[in-house]
Amino acid sequence: MNRRNFLSLTGTFTGGVLLLPEFLHAFGAQNSLVVGEQCLVFIQLNGGNDGLNTFIPYENPLYYDLRTKIAIGKEAVIGKNKGMAFHPALKDFAQMQQNGDLTILQNVGYPEPNRSHFRSQEIWQTATDATKYISEGWLGRYLDLQCKEPQPTAGINLDSIDNLALKGMEPNTITVKNPNQFKVRSDKDDTIKLSDNPQLDFVRKVANSVTEGSDEIQKAIAKSTTENSYPKTGLSKNLEWIARLIKGNLNSKVYYTSLGGFDTHDNQLAIQEKKLTELNDALYSFYQDLKKAQLLQNVTVVVFSEFGRRVKDNGNGTDHGTAAPMFIIGGNNKGTVLGKNPNLSDLDNGDLKYEIDFRSVYATLLQHKMNFDSTKIGINNNTVSGLF
Amino acid sequence: MNKSNLWSLRLGFSSKQAAQIESLGIEKFLKQSFASKYEKHLPQFLEDDPKTLAELKEFRNKIKETTSAEGKKVLKQQLRNSSELKSWWIDKMRNDAFPLREKMVCFWHNHFVATSQKVKVNYWVYQHNMILRENAFGNFKELTKKIIKSNAMVKYLDNVDNKKGSYNENLSRELLELFTLGIGNYTESDIKNGARALAGLNLGEDAAVYRRFIEDNSDKTYFGKTGNWKADDLVDIIFEQKNIPYLITKKILKWLVYDNPSDAMVIYYGDYFRKMNFEIQPLLTKIVTEEYVKNNSGSKIKDPLLYILQLIDELQIKDVESKMIAFFLKQQGMELFNQVNVKGWDGGNSWLTSQIYLQRNNTADMLCNGKILNRKEFNNIPEEGEQPKISFEKVNISLQFDTNGNNKKIIADLSNRLLFQIEDDTQKDMENLLKYDFDAKEAHANNAVLRLFNYITKTPEYQLI
Repeated sequence: MNRRNFLSLTGTFTGGVLLLPEFLHAFGAQNSLVVGEQCLVFIQLNGGNDGLNTFIPYENPLYYDLRTKIAIGKEAVIGKNKGMAFHPALKDFAQMQQNGDLTILQNVGYPEPNRSHFRSQEIWQTATDATKYISEGWLGRYLDLQCKEPQPTAGINLDSIDNLALKGMEPNTITVKNPNQFKVRSDKDDTIKLSDNPQLDFVRKVANSVTEGSDEIQKAIAKSTTENSYPKTGLSKNLEWIARLIKGNLNSKVYYTSLGGFDTHDNQLAIQEKKLTELNDALYSFYQDLKKAQLLQNVTVVVFSEFGRRVKDNGNGTDHGTAAPMFIIGGNNKGTVLGKNPNLSDLDNGDLKYEIDFRSVYATLLQHKMNFDSTKIGINNNTVSGLF
Repeated sequence: MNKSNLWSLRLGFSSKQAAQIESLGIEKFLKQSFASKYEKHLPQFLEDDPKTLAELKEFRNKIKETTSAEGKKVLKQQLRNSSELKSWWIDKMRNDAFPLREKMVCFWHNHFVATSQKVKVNYWVYQHNMILRENAFGNFKELTKKIIKSNAMVKYLDNVDNKKGSYNENLSRELLELFTLGIGNYTESDIKNGARALAGLNLGEDAAVYRRFIEDNSDKTYFGKTGNWKADDLVDIIFEQKNIPYLITKKILKWLVYDNPSDAMVIYYGDYFRKMNFEIQPLLTKIVTEEYVKNNSGSKIKDPLLYILQLIDELQIKDVESKMIAFFLKQQGMELFNQVNVKGWDGGNSWLTSQIYLQRNNTADMLCNGKILNRKEFNNIPEEGEQPKISFEKVNISLQFDTNGNNKKIIADLSNRLLFQIEDDTQKDMENLLKYDFDAKEAHANNAVLRLFNYITKTPEYQLI
């Protein structure tokens, strides 16, 4: 190895600042990203959200027969439309549908459904057949091909853990644990103690400054403000920051965040109501924020869960199931309902049979919003017609 | 964190020795480490390098004409060998059954700094490194004597320019300031007189020697003692001074256990070191056995060397060349044989900046993805003006975990091996990555455990031992 060449190749100490070799891709100056202003925002509902109690077949007597303890009453549901209606906690979903900004895709799933949270999330995140395995996520693969040079902020994951969906060969995404880190630090912050162990305290402060290092993010935040008040929940905070980044023209292609707590084996009515309320309130604030900024046509929000739940209740809850509705908001979607109402009499081991493969939805999003051919990343399903 | 894992990391470069520490007990493990053998003959790549003063002279004449093809070739070979030397050493760190010797060689390497950039002669740098290896567990006083009489050191600290009537104080000053007593424990007059005593100590065939016509044979007064002192006499006098044990004891504690050892602790072990006549073995034994029983994990930031070797060991990567590790170390501010200045790496908090942390995370991501830099391109020297290419290649990685365990068992195993402390949020994140219905027997379970491992490597807690 010729040391001098490596020196010029990778940079070295310059004025005490360690310049990073390109292959380790720190946040650098980044060129503006790829196509257009369109972006995708994913909200992953962890635990398996019960679809039948989310978008409810309230006119189907079987629904009430099979769910004696946990069915939502006809009089409680809202936004009635062709035999289907929303859980009462989703009052603003009904509003968004009224406005023509929400499409519901019914019975979304995949062949040979897996009922393990773990594995089913993997399948949704990698977009493979249920029997195939790859270690990169579908959005990670997309960004690998889309970004000619690695773009650390091409995908932004607001979560405490990395998301497999965004994992690619190149570091095109970052995970941000605490969006408050985005705030420009003041000297005051240095006095905050993050641990009684002085070494750990130091490392945590360094760790926090890692994401602050992104000039692009800082710039986007400087350019935007929060205009309406979001509720004070975790999901809401994350969406509020995503909105700021979009409004600040960060030009990321993909934003990802999640909401947990949908694994309602017991006490479903109370738990799901709480969770759906959180989802509804956060998402509606986000929706209004983008609408006011006249950006909703550029932002497509996708809400999904790794599976739905068993049609028949197990008492006060439900067990793991299969197909469920998926929600698309904004991005000039047609504002409609796609797919038949759930068929509760033709079940597979007590679970709904899927009608729309989730990969068809992915293919549609990539095709229509990102102008990208999904077969390049191994998604060969047909697109869904009538969504955009 | 398991004690045996913690101390395997502290006394080596990975968790590889944990089982041994467990089965032998820490004291026996130390004894065997002290008794460990090491390779003594010259590595092959240095066989043709110039060694004697005559050979060096001839060599220098050759490279004077760096424009000539011959001169260029020779120079290239020198650079290659200097990089070979790094790999040769890193190989030892990776492969020794008892890596404590190399851990201490590295400690002394950072104490008696003599960079290859300034020394330039690979063979001298090698010799210097071998002195450290032979004396890694020997006697501090004897080691000091040997080092200041090494060709590498007299070159590095300019004693080659220290002549009677035209003194150079560099070596004399660092001998006191950095190698032994530390600032505040000597006078400027001691430095001047020390320089006179060292005058004429110059390059020799095997080690530095006094040259008759430039040495100063008049009397010097050093720490109040007067005589015609030479290098060994200076060291003898220095080691009679009251504060001699503390600087080095503090550095050893910092190297192995604490970024910030207390003064009381430094004095406690330092006094013992003096009592043992500066024998390194009893000092290490006392420190390690007494600190082993304490709950003191999380008191030190991992240096880049430990960081990368642990990662490679955990992922059981066989194909990564030590050359690439050397490259990583350089990027992280820990270039072997090339500290920024004579003080050596500061260690502690200075190991981490947000950029370096980010680079660690990116490297962990890269390796956990089973990628390394393309070896062919890495070894290829681009022609002048040609853009060097960089791409990745796949390597096999695998991670040890209990395939009979459930998610919690695997999380517990991994975190006890890797994290000094697990807070509730971390536990929650880990259970989110490896959910309760995770099946470790399933054919692709390792991918998920790798993601868990990757998560762990990026936590602040993982940066500490």
